[in-house]
Amino acid sequence: MAQREELLAAIQRGYPEGAGVAVLPGGDLPTLRVEKRVLLSLARRLKDDPALDFKLLSDVCGVDYPGREERFEVVYHLYSVTHGHRIRLQVPVQEDDASVPSVYGVWKAADWFEREAYDMFGIRFEGHPNLKRILCHPSFQGHALRKDYDPGQRWLLREGEQDQPAWASRRLEDEDHFETQVLNLGPSHPASHGTLRTVVRLDGEVITDAEAEIGYLHRCFEKMAEQHTWNQVIPFTDRLNYCSSMMNGVGYALAVEKMLGIEAPRRAQVIRLILSELSRIMDHLVDIGANLNDVGAMTPFLYMYKAREEIYSVLEACAGGRLTVSYVRIGGLANDTPAGFEDAVRYLLKRIPPLMADMEKLITQNLIFRQRTERVGAMSPADALDWGWTGPCLRACGVPYDVRKAQPYLGYEEYDFKIPVAHTGDTYARFLVRVEEVRQSLAIVEQALARLEPGAVITDNHLVALPAKEKVYTEMESLIWHFKWVMEGMKVPPGQVYGCTEGANGELGFYIVSDGGGKPYRIKVRPPCFAIFQAYPHMLKGHMVADSVAILASLNVIAGELDR
Amino acid sequence: MGGRDSRVSLPVYGGGAKEAAARRPDGSHVFLTTKFNHLIDKARKNSLWPFPFGTACCAIEFMSVMMSHYDLSRFGAEVVRFSPRQSDLLLVAGTVTDKMAPVMVRIYEQMAEPKYVISMGACACTGGFYRAYHVVQGIDEFVPVDVYVPGCPPTPEALLQGVMRLQEMIEGGETHYQLALTGRRPKGEAHGAA
Amino acid sequence: MTTADIIVCDAKPLRFLQRFYVVEIVKGLAVTMRHFLGNLFARANTVTVEWPEVKREYSERLRGRHILLAREDGSPRCVACYMCETACPADCIHIEAEEDATESVEWEKRPKVFTIDLLRCVFCGFCVDACPKEAIIMSRTHEMAFTSREEAIVGLRELMQQGPIPRHDLGYRPYYGPPPAGGIALPIPVKPAPARASG
Repeated sequence: MAQREELLAAIQRGYPEGAGVAVLPGGDLPTLRVEKRVLLSLARRLKDDPALDFKLLSDVCGVDYPGREERFEVVYHLYSVTHGHRIRLQVPVQEDDASVPSVYGVWKAADWFEREAYDMFGIRFEGHPNLKRILCHPSFQGHALRKDYDPGQRWLLREGEQDQPAWASRRLEDEDHFETQVLNLGPSHPASHGTLRTVVRLDGEVITDAEAEIGYLHRCFEKMAEQHTWNQVIPFTDRLNYCSSMMNGVGYALAVEKMLGIEAPRRAQVIRLILSELSRIMDHLVDIGANLNDVGAMTPFLYMYKAREEIYSVLEACAGGRLTVSYVRIGGLANDTPAGFEDAVRYLLKRIPPLMADMEKLITQNLIFRQRTERVGAMSPADALDWGWTGPCLRACGVPYDVRKAQPYLGYEEYDFKIPVAHTGDTYARFLVRVEEVRQSLAIVEQALARLEPGAVITDNHLVALPAKEKVYTEMESLIWHFKWVMEGMKVPPGQVYGCTEGANGELGFYIVSDGGGKPYRIKVRPPCFAIFQAYPHMLKGHMVADSVAILASLNVIAGELDR
Repeated sequence: MGGRDSRVSLPVYGGGAKEAAARRPDGSHVFLTTKFNHLIDKARKNSLWPFPFGTACCAIEFMSVMMSHYDLSRFGAEVVRFSPRQSDLLLVAGTVTDKMAPVMVRIYEQMAEPKYVISMGACACTGGFYRAYHVVQGIDEFVPVDVYVPGCPPTPEALLQGVMRLQEMIEGGETHYQLALTGRRPKGEAHGAA
Repeated sequence: MTTADIIVCDAKPLRFLQRFYVVEIVKGLAVTMRHFLGNLFARANTVTVEWPEVKREYSERLRGRHILLAREDGSPRCVACYMCETACPADCIHIEAEEDATESVEWEKRPKVFTIDLLRCVFCGFCVDACPKEAIIMSRTHEMAFTSREEAIVGLRELMQQGPIPRHDLGYRPYYGPPPAGGIALPIPVKPAPARASG
C-alpha cells in the first residue's frame, strides 16, 4: 500500500543502513526490527514527530524462540489515532543479557505491559519504576511463558508471603500528627468487581497514595492456548471477557482467519455482528448496573438484568450456552441460527429501550448521582492516550477512536452508526457514553437484521472447518476430512498477525504467532482493561474512598480479561 | 502442594461434650434435644446467608440467580453478606488461583460456625480445563466442600438445585460441619488433592 | 472518521426542579411503583421462574449432561475411536477400547471404559461435534449437584441412554436436515405446564 511505503520511508529517513532499524518485508503490519540500543530514540521520534504521531502504545509483549540465538523478542504495537496507521516493532534480546530499555518514559502505557513481560519471560526493563511480578504470585519461581516451563508446575503461596507495596510499611503522620492508615480494598470486596486489590494510604477519608495489585484471576490463558489446538482455544477465549463472551471469540477467529487468508461466509459475518452487538449491549448493561449498585442505586441493576436474561435466551437458543457461548469457529459459526432468530432479536429491540428508559428516568438527571460522579475520576485526553486507554473510557475523554470506524471488520463500514463522545472524562461522562452506545448498538442490530440472508455459516474449506454432519455420515471423503481435522488439527501457515476488534471495553487485540503447526505458538491477548486499570491508582490521589468505588465501577474492569 | 495437610480443619467448638450430655446411657439422643437440634437445622437451612466469593464467570451467573428471574431469596438466602463474620455459606463461584487461595482460606477461617461451602462451577470444583501453573485444582485442597455444582458456568437452575441439595444435607446432618460435631466421617473422605 | 460519525453526549445542566429534588423523588417513585404494582397485580408479567415447582424450558441446543446413544440391541453406538477424547479441551473423557466380538466386521471396537469427569467438563460440546457416529449427544439436564468428586466421574452405565429419550430432554446434538419448527420462546415463558391452581 502506498501509505505503508510512505510511512516506512518517513521512519527510515532518520535511520540509514546499519543504524539498527530494519524493515521486515511482508506481514500484515509494517514491521521494524529494532536493536535495543536505538529503541528509546526511535520510540521518542515515533511519538513526537507529527507526521508519525504514534501516541497510543497498544501492546508490549515478549515471545520466546528457544531455537534462535537471540532467544527472546519484545514486540511493541503502536497506533496513531490521528493518522490511523499501525506499526509493529520487534526487539531481539539475548538470553544471557535479557534486558531492554524501558519505554515508560515515552508512553506511560508501558508500565504494566513491561511488568508482565518480565513476569512471564524474565526480560528486565531498565528504567522501569516498579519492575516486579504482576500476574503470578510473589512466591512463584521461574518464568511461566518460557517454552521450557512445564504448564502444570504450580507453586504454593502461603499466608504472609503476599505482596505489599514498599510504602505501605512506612508509618507516616500527616501535618496534624494523626497517623495515616494503609487500607486494603479487595481482593474480596463487595465493590471491587472481581478480584482486584488496591492498597491505599488514607489521610482521614482522603486517599494520598495508592497501588493496584492484579493477578488474582490469572488463569494462564496464554500458556493453555499453546497446549491446545486452534479450535480448542475458542472455549478459553469465551472466558476472557465473560460479560460479553462472543466478542472475544469473534476477535480471535478474525485474527486466525486473517492468517489463513480465508473469510467466513457473509451470513456468518452478519450473525457474528448481531451477536457481538448484543454482547456489547449485555456488557454495558452489567457495567452500568454494577456502577449504579456500587454508588447505592440498587434498583436499576434489577432492570438491567431483566434485559440481560432475555439476551441470554437468544444466545442459549443459538449456541447452547448462556454466558460462555463457544459459538464461533474458525471459518464461521458452529451451527446456523435456529428458526425464529429474527423474531427473537426484534423482540429484544423492543424490550431493551423501555428498561433503559426507566433506568434513565431514575438516574441520568438525578442530583445525588451527578454529585457523586461528576468531576470524579477525570482524565485528560492526552493522559488517557498516554496510558493506553481505548474504548468508552477514552471516548468519554473526547478522543473519537473506535476500531469499528478506524479499521472496520465484519462489514461495519456498511452500517450507519455514530460514536458517542463526551468531553469531561469523568465518571458521569463514561456513564453517558455507555448509555448512548447501547442505543447505537440497538440501531446497528436493526440494520443488520435487514442484511441477513440465507446461506452457509461456515467455510467449506475442509482444512479449516469440519464438513457438515450429513456428509460425514454418508460420504467417505468427508469422513476422512473430519478425521484429519479432529486428530491432527487445523494448521495455520507460519507468520504473525495482530488482529484487533472493538471489545466492550476498548481495543481487544490478539497478537498471534504461528510456526505452521496445529497449536498456536504464541497468543498474546491485548486486554483493553489492562491499560485502563494501570492508570487507576494514579487517578485516585486526592479522592475519597467512596469516590474510588465509583471510579472503579465506571472503568469496567473485568478480571478475566485483565489477568487472563 | 496442597493435600490433606493444608486443608483447614474445622475447629469444633465445644467438641462432642455438649452432645454427650444430651445422650442416654445407651448412646441414643434424648428426644427433646434431638427435636430441638432438628428445628434449629430446619431454621438454618431456610435462612442461609451466602458469602459470594465470586471471582470469575460463575459470579455473573450467581448475580443472575440473585436477580428477578431466579430469585435466590425464595430460599431464604437473599441476604448476601460480604463480611465473613455475618455469613454462613461460602459460595465459591469461579476460578481460585494460587494467589487468591490464602485469601479464600482466611475468609473461611474468619467465618463463624456453622458454616457450609458450595463450590460452584468446574473451576472451583476441580480447576476445570485450566490445568495450569497458577490455578488451584479444586478448592477442596484448602477448604472442606459440601456441595459441588458442575457446569461452566452452571445454569441458575443448577445452582438452585445445588442450594437445595445443601438444604437437604443440613436437614439430614450430612454437611462437614455437622459431621465434625458428631465425630462421624463423611462418605468418600479419603479423597485429597487430585 | 468524519464529524458526522460522532455524537456528543455531554452532561445536560440540571433544571431548577431537578435541583430541588422533591419532584425527582416523586418521579422516581412513580417508576418503581409501576414495576412493583405491575408485578403484584399482573402476575402474568412477573418474570420470576419459581424453580423447582415451575421450570423454564431450556432451548433445543442446551449443552447439558452427556448421553451415549444406543443401537437397537442396547449396546453403545460408540466405536471407541477416541475422537471425542482428542477434541475435548478439558481432557475429561477417558476411554479404553476393546474388541467387539459380536460385530460382523472384524476389528470393530467398543468402549470397555468410558468415563467423563463431570466436574472437569466445561460443557463446550466439542465432543458432540467430533463424534463421527452420533454416539454422544448432550441432554438438557444441567442440574446435577454432587457431594463428592468421585461421584462426579460417571461411567458407561450412567451415561448410556435408558430407553427412548423424550424430545424435551434432547439438547445439543448434530443438526442436519430442515431446522425443527418452533421459534425461540420470548418473553421467557414463566409458567409452562403444569399450571398452578393459585395465581
